[in-house]
Amino acid sequence: MRFSVIYKLLFLFSFSLFSSQSFALKIDHDAGSIEFDSTPQRVVVLAFSFVDALAIAGVSPVGIADDGDKNRVIKRVRDNIEDWQSVGSRYQPSLEAIAALKPDLIIADSGRHHSIYQDLTRIAPTLMLKSRGVTYQENLLIIEKIALAVDKQSRVEKRLIEHKKRMLDFKNKLSNKGSFQFAVTSEKGMWLHSPYSYAGSVIEELALTSPLPSSNKQVYLQSSFEQLLSLNPDWLFVGQYSDHSVLDKWQKSPLWKMLTISKSQQVVSVSANVWSLASGLLAAEQIAEQLTQAVKK
Amino acid sequence: MTRFQKSLSGGGLLLVILAVYSLLNGAHHLSVNTVVSTLFYAGDQDFIVNHYRLPRLFIAILVGMGLAISGVLTQAIIRNPLASPDLMGISGGAGLAACTVLLTQPDINPAWLPVIALLGGFTAAFLIYWLNSRHQPSPARLALLGIAISAFLSSCINFLLVLYPIEVNSAMIWLTGSLWGRNWDYIWPLLPWLLTLVPFSYYLAWRLDLFALGDETASALGVDTKRLQIMALLSAVALASVSVAVCGTIGFVGLLAPHLARLLVGSQHKLMLPVAALIGALLVLSADTLARNLAPPLELPAGVLTAILGAPYFVFLLHRYKGW
Repeated sequence: MRFSVIYKLLFLFSFSLFSSQSFALKIDHDAGSIEFDSTPQRVVVLAFSFVDALAIAGVSPVGIADDGDKNRVIKRVRDNIEDWQSVGSRYQPSLEAIAALKPDLIIADSGRHHSIYQDLTRIAPTLMLKSRGVTYQENLLIIEKIALAVDKQSRVEKRLIEHKKRMLDFKNKLSNKGSFQFAVTSEKGMWLHSPYSYAGSVIEELALTSPLPSSNKQVYLQSSFEQLLSLNPDWLFVGQYSDHSVLDKWQKSPLWKMLTISKSQQVVSVSANVWSLASGLLAAEQIAEQLTQAVKK
Repeated sequence: MTRFQKSLSGGGLLLVILAVYSLLNGAHHLSVNTVVSTLFYAGDQDFIVNHYRLPRLFIAILVGMGLAISGVLTQAIIRNPLASPDLMGISGGAGLAACTVLLTQPDINPAWLPVIALLGGFTAAFLIYWLNSRHQPSPARLALLGIAISAFLSSCINFLLVLYPIEVNSAMIWLTGSLWGRNWDYIWPLLPWLLTLVPFSYYLAWRLDLFALGDETASALGVDTKRLQIMALLSAVALASVSVAVCGTIGFVGLLAPHLARLLVGSQHKLMLPVAALIGALLVLSADTLARNLAPPLELPAGVLTAILGAPYFVFLLHRYKGW
C-alpha cells in the first residue's frame, strides 16, 4: 500500500514537472517577473501607451485607467479595440473597480504605480512597465514584451516591420528642416518636451534637431517666455490642455514678433492627447504624419 | 440617559451604519449577503472586501480618532480654541518628513513611516515652541504662526515634488490627504501607537480639567503643570504624526472634532475625549466613503472633503472670538 502511494506521488510529481515545462512562459518586468500558464484573456491597463500596444496586438483591454474620459484614448487606438470599463484616473486608479473586472493580467506603469504594486498582484499577475516618461525606442521593446504576454508575437512583429518602413518614409520626407520643439500648455504654464520624452524622441527618430542644448537631461522642462525666446525654435508644435493658455498672453507681447516661429507662422496646434498622453506606436505614426504635413505646407 | 450616553450611542450607531454603507458601496456595489459571506469565507470578492474596503474602514476610524484626540490635547494645553495639529504645522512637519523619505527611498517598509513622521512632527512642534518662547502669544498670533509654518512646510513638499516628478502620485497623497492605496500593511504600524496613546490621554483627562482653571489653581490642586503640559503635548504630536504617516494631512479633523464634542457634552475631558474620538472617526470615515462614492471609479482626496467642512468652520471661529 505504502509503495503504491509513493509511486502515485512520483508519477504526479513527474507529470507536473513535465507540464510546467511545456506551458510556463516567464516575463521579466520592472518589479520582478511573472510566469504565465495560459494566455491572459482579461487585461486591465493603467496607462495609455499600453492600450496602444494592445491595439496593435489585436487585444481589447477590459479596463483602462482613462481618467474617466474615453476620448483620452486617441481615435486611432479606440478604432482598433472594443469598448472598455473605466477604472479611474491614472494617478489613483480605483483598485475595487479593477478587482471587479476580474482581470487575469494587469499592466501598470512602473513610474506611477509603484506604491500599489502589492495590491495589484493580489488582484491579478501584474506587469510593471515604463509608461510615464517612456521614449520611442524604449517603448518598442515594451510593445514586444506585451505582445509576448498576450501571445501575439507574429502579428506584432509584422506590424513593427511595417511601422519601421513608414517611419523611414517620413524621415526621408522630413530631412533637414530646422529645429523642432513640442510643448504642452495650460493656464499654468508651458512645458517643453525634451528628446527624453516620447514626442521628443519621435522627433529625434525622424532625424530632426531639437533646439534644446544637448546637456539637458530633463524630460519635461517648464519654460518661461524668456526661455522660449532664447531657444527660438524653427517649429513649435503646441498641445493645449485647456482652452486658454499662457501662449495667448505671450502672443500679445511685442517680443513675440522676435521669434522665428512668429515670422514664419510655424506654430502648429496639435492634440496633446496624441502627442503627449498616448505615447504609443500608432501615436508615433500620427505625430510623424502631422510633422510631415506641417512642413509640406 | 445622560447627554454623554446619548451622544456616544448615537455616534456609535451612526458609525456602524456608515461602516456598513462603506463596505457595500464603491466603484462596484455588493449585496449584504455577498459582503457577509466574503468576510467569513473569502471567495470571489475577497480583494474588494477583505483587502480593500475593510482595511480602509479601520484606517479611517483609527486615524480619525488619533487626529481628534490630538486636537483635544493641544486645545486644552495651549488653551486656544484655534489650536489643532494641522493648523499648527505639526501635521505639515510629519507629512514633509514622510514624503521626503518616500520620494528618496520608495522601497521603504511602511512600518518605518510612523517613526519618520514622528521625527518630522516633533521638529515642527519644537520650531513652533521656539518661535513662541519669547513671549506669551495671543491665540490669534499662535494660529497665524502655525498657518505660516504649515504654508512653509507644504511649499517644501511642493518643492520636493518638482525635484522628483516621476513619483509625484504617491506624494500627492501627502499634500491633500487620502486613503488611496492603503491596506493592512499600514494598520499594524499604526496600532501600537494608538493603543498606548489613546488610553494615556484618557488617564490625563481630569488633570486637563484642572489645568483649564489656570496654572496656579491647577498647581494648588496638586497637578504638576509643567509635566502635564509636556506629556499631553508629546502625546498630541505623536498621535497626529502617526496618523499623518498613514494617510497624509487630512485637515481640520483635529479642529472640528473637539469643538463638536464640546457642543454635545461640555468641556469635561472625561466625557469629551471619547465623544471627540468618535466624531473624528465619523468625519474621516465619511470623508473617505464620499471620496470613493462621489464619482466612481474616480477617487477624490479625502482631505479635500474634510477641508470643505472644516475651512468655513475655522472662519466662523475666527469671527466669533472677538478682541484678538
